[in-house]
Amino acid sequence: MTGYPVPASSRGIIALDENACTSCMLCARECPDWCIEIDSHKETVLEEGARPRVVHVLDRFAIDFGLCMWCGICIEACPFDALFWAPSYDHAATEPAGMVHERFDLRQWLSEVPPGTP
Amino acid sequence: MTWVADVTAARDAGAVFFDFLTAVDLEADGFEVVCRLWDPQARTEHLLRTRCTRTHARVPTLTGVFAGAAWHERAVADLFGIGFDGHDTVPLLLPASFEGHPLRKDFVLAAREARQWPGAKDPGESDADLAVPRRRRAKPLGTRDWSP
Ligand code: SF4
Ligand code: SF4
Repeated sequence: MTGYPVPASSRGIIALDENACTSCMLCARECPDWCIEIDSHKETVLEEGARPRVVHVLDRFAIDFGLCMWCGICIEACPFDALFWAPSYDHAATEPAGMVHERFDLRQWLSEVPPGTP
Repeated sequence: MTWVADVTAARDAGAVFFDFLTAVDLEADGFEVVCRLWDPQARTEHLLRTRCTRTHARVPTLTGVFAGAAWHERAVADLFGIGFDGHDTVPLLLPASFEGHPLRKDFVLAAREARQWPGAKDPGESDADLAVPRRRRAKPLGTRDWSP
């Protein structure tokens, strides 16, 4: 984050904890602006002594901040605490496509989330 | 007239700052009209609500209590199609030729008809999986139900 200092609890941008995300689609369905795009696929996990398990593996997680209205509904809707507000705010772009942030960016912002954030 | 009387009483009791007036579409239960007042001395907020049905979507105007309610009532008339008795609501936000009330939940949003809803995919699916027809798929608000 650069520029003017803001409180750590600011609603600057949305961070994603990919390890916590189960690709459940709830945030994408609850988002009033349709700005969360998620792709995932199924994989079967074989573990000794256990029956085969199907898990969802995340392929794409993108938020279009050109559409987002910072309502926070996705963060509240996530049952797995995978989405958080991060204070970073200077993400202006020169064209609309630049406002779409993929999982690489969303994951990076996780380091800015203040500790103890629900 | 208890709507006007209640808002007047709250104002006279100190909630002299009219913050906003809006509405909520409760679908089969009609509409709720909500008004927020602020008491600058006590530093308390007052949220007042009234209801009307869909078939008779009208409530009394608050413009006699707060002149500033006029813009809010005009916006609510545009966006929710709610009438205000005693206030001739001139369109505020929508052109006169606009048909429908876009904040009603049964209003079909044209942009949503054209775009693929990101929530249509189930966990474990990507865009390619949407090409496979399936009987039950999650449906978004603000779109037409095309199912037979
Ligand atoms: S903050 Fe609101 S608009 Fe933005 S991605 Fe989340 S649910 Fe969608
Ligand atoms: S609601 Fe949470 S767990 Fe589910 S897809 Fe969204 S971020 Fe992942």
